[in-house]
Order: sequence, then C-alpha cells, then structure tokens
Amino acid sequence: MENKRVLIIEDDLTLRNVLAEFLGSEGFLVGVASDGEEGINMIKSYNPDIVLLDIILPKKNGFEVLKEVRDNEGKLSVPFVLLTNLGSLDDIEKALELGATTYLVKGDYQVREIVEKVKEILSKEK
Amino acid sequence: MGVSVYQTPAFMLLTLGFIIVFIMTAVFFVSREFVSIEILIIAEAVVVSFILIIGNTIIGSMEKLARVNKFKSEFISIVSHQLKTPLTGISWDMEFLMSKHSDGLNSKQIEILKNIEALNVIMAKMVNDLLDVARIDQNNFFTRKDEIDIVSVVKKVIEKNKALTLKNKVNIDLLVDDNMPKIIGDEKRTEVVLDNFISNAIKYNKENGKVIIKMQKDNRRAIISVKDTGIGIPENEQDRVFEKFYRSKEAASRETGGTGLGLYIAKNIIERSEGKVWFRSVENEGTEFHFSLPII
Repeated sequence: MENKRVLIIEDDLTLRNVLAEFLGSEGFLVGVASDGEEGINMIKSYNPDIVLLDIILPKKNGFEVLKEVRDNEGKLSVPFVLLTNLGSLDDIEKALELGATTYLVKGDYQVREIVEKVKEILSKEK
Repeated sequence: MGVSVYQTPAFMLLTLGFIIVFIMTAVFFVSREFVSIEILIIAEAVVVSFILIIGNTIIGSMEKLARVNKFKSEFISIVSHQLKTPLTGISWDMEFLMSKHSDGLNSKQIEILKNIEALNVIMAKMVNDLLDVARIDQNNFFTRKDEIDIVSVVKKVIEKNKALTLKNKVNIDLLVDDNMPKIIGDEKRTEVVLDNFISNAIKYNKENGKVIIKMQKDNRRAIISVKDTGIGIPENEQDRVFEKFYRSKEAASRETGGTGLGLYIAKNIIERSEGKVWFRSVENEGTEFHFSLPII
C-alpha cells in the first residue's frame, strides 16, 4: 500500500486526525478536507486512489459530493467508502445507488479495522 | 411503525362506512313493514350521526397515538445519533493513545485508560441498542450482507467475554462441525447477536455451570446453538422472550444493568439476515438458543 493516496472528507476534527494518523503510519499518503466543497476540489487536485467520505458535512453533504463526482467522471472512477454514523436503510440505499463502493458505520469499527477495509478495497481494485 | 394498509385510519373509516350502510339498508327494508318511512329515516339519520361521531373520535385518537409514537422514534434516533459522534471520537482517540503512545505510560495510567475504554464501550452499546430499536420501529433497519467466517466471530466473542466467564466461574465448550462454510450476514451485527446469547448464557448460569456452543451446518444454512446450565426461563414467560423490554423476574433480580432490548434486537437482526431464531428452556435446568443464517 506504499504511496497510495487516501482522501478523508470528514468535518469532525478528532475523527479526521485519528484516521489520518493511522493511515499515515501504514504508509498511505493522506489528504484531508473538512467540508464537501473542499472535498470536491481535493478529488480533482489530489487525485486520490480512494476516498473516505462522511455523509453529514458542511457546504455540500456526502451524497452531493458523490453525485457530483460520479456525474462528471462516470461510474468506474475512484472508489468511495461512505462513513456514516446513521446506518439507516434509506441512507445506505441512496449511497449505493449513487455509486458508493461500500459504507461503514463509524461507531461500529475501530480505526485499525477501517484501515484494513481500505487495504482490502485497494487490493481488489488492482 | 410497521403499519399495513389495513391498519390505517382511512381504511378503517371506509370499512366502518360500508358496514353502517349495509346494516342501515337491511334495517330499512326489514322495518318499513312496521314503521312509517319518515320516522325510520329520522331514526337512521340519528344512529348514523352517532356512530360517525364515535368513529371519528376513536380514529382521531388513534392517529394522535401514531403521531406520538413516530415522534418518539424520531426523537430517539436524533438523540442517539448526536451521542454517537462524540462516543466514536472518544473510542478512536483511546485506540490512538493506547496503540501509539502507551510506551510512555505507567501501568496505573494504562489501567485507567482501559477502564475508560470499557465504560465507553458500555455507553456505545446502549446508544446502539436504542438506535437499533428506533430503526426497527421506523421500518428503517438495515443489515449488511457480508461473507463472514462465523467460527472466528464466535471465538472473538468468547474471548471478549473472558473476564465475565472467570468472574462467574463458568466453563465454555465450543463444538464446531468440520469445514464450516462462510455465512452471509452482517459482520458487526452478528457479533452483537452472539454477544447477547453468550453473555446471557454466562450471566444467568449456575456457579461452575457450563456453556456449550455448537456450530453445525446443513446444505443451506449454518446453525449456531448456545446452551447453558442456568436458571432457565419460567414457562409462563417463554412466549415473551423476544418482546421489547422483556426481562424475566429472576434475571432482573440477578443483574440490574440490562435493558431488555438485547433479544428483541437479536431476533430482528437474524430475521433481516434471512435466518431464524428459536429456543428451548426448562426452569432450573437451562436454556438453549439456536439461530440459523444462510451460507454462501
């Protein structure tokens, strides 16, 4: 996983920092954005291999980010992992319909389990 | 709320209307032999208005009740969602602290951190349970379809309950069929189900009691059984075991921490994952819970 770029779009400072720290120590290159608009700009400029995307975000929410990126780049571009705290049926169906690769309910996972999921998805992408 | 079309106030009103019209027509044709038509029409009009007023009041209060229930579920899901974000933050920060900086801490400090972490786990579990119940009530409950190595999940849950096992002086036996296949279900939620059954079997056991966990397979599904040698469930309470907030009197007197939501949630998780759950219990001899999940 050396030099793979991960972009974290998450407005909660604590969650963002801890995720970045763990991913960084596993050899990933990590970019961060704290709202939806910044996230979209970072996807264009940072060119990530995978995006971890929160749903409830300022300026543009996760669904809007996902839709905008998928509309512009087609379905086969960068994998998105939706990070939610809700895990409600409506949200998950909507996310998968918009082209999210998978979703994770944040509170259910330890950080190192999320790192494992990221590795798993990237190894399947190759 | 999982309300079908037949339970909606509008449908009930319509049914009520049909019944009244039918009865009134019958009464009209039968009684016009004896009474003048004018009196009959007035009498029927009075009866109809009376029934409609009562019907309307009943339906109105049903609607109000449904609104209150809906509000309650929404309130629970908003509150638990707001609680989840900081709880996740605490849990991830603790993980960070223990994995990256625990070298600089003395054993007392590490013990305190572990204690905080354990309390956080309890709080998160409570919030998750409430959120799950609200989801189930709102018909908005979702389970993933992961491919799971169920044997390793069972082993993980046994390991997680080790302290409780030692404290209650209980022995756990694990019997696994050869070549257990992977199952299809929600990894985290299946863990919750197993934790419920296994921790219950430990908590409500006798001293030096046994917990026997069996994992079997047939060609379509895996069946997991958790048997204890504990206090059992009284026969007159057995049909309420999977009800929301059910706690047996004996269980409540032994352990005050439970919410009575565990088995209700477990049943919903398994059924959403296209599995089944059932049990057999004899008072003072023990209980055996079984559940099945589809295999790949």
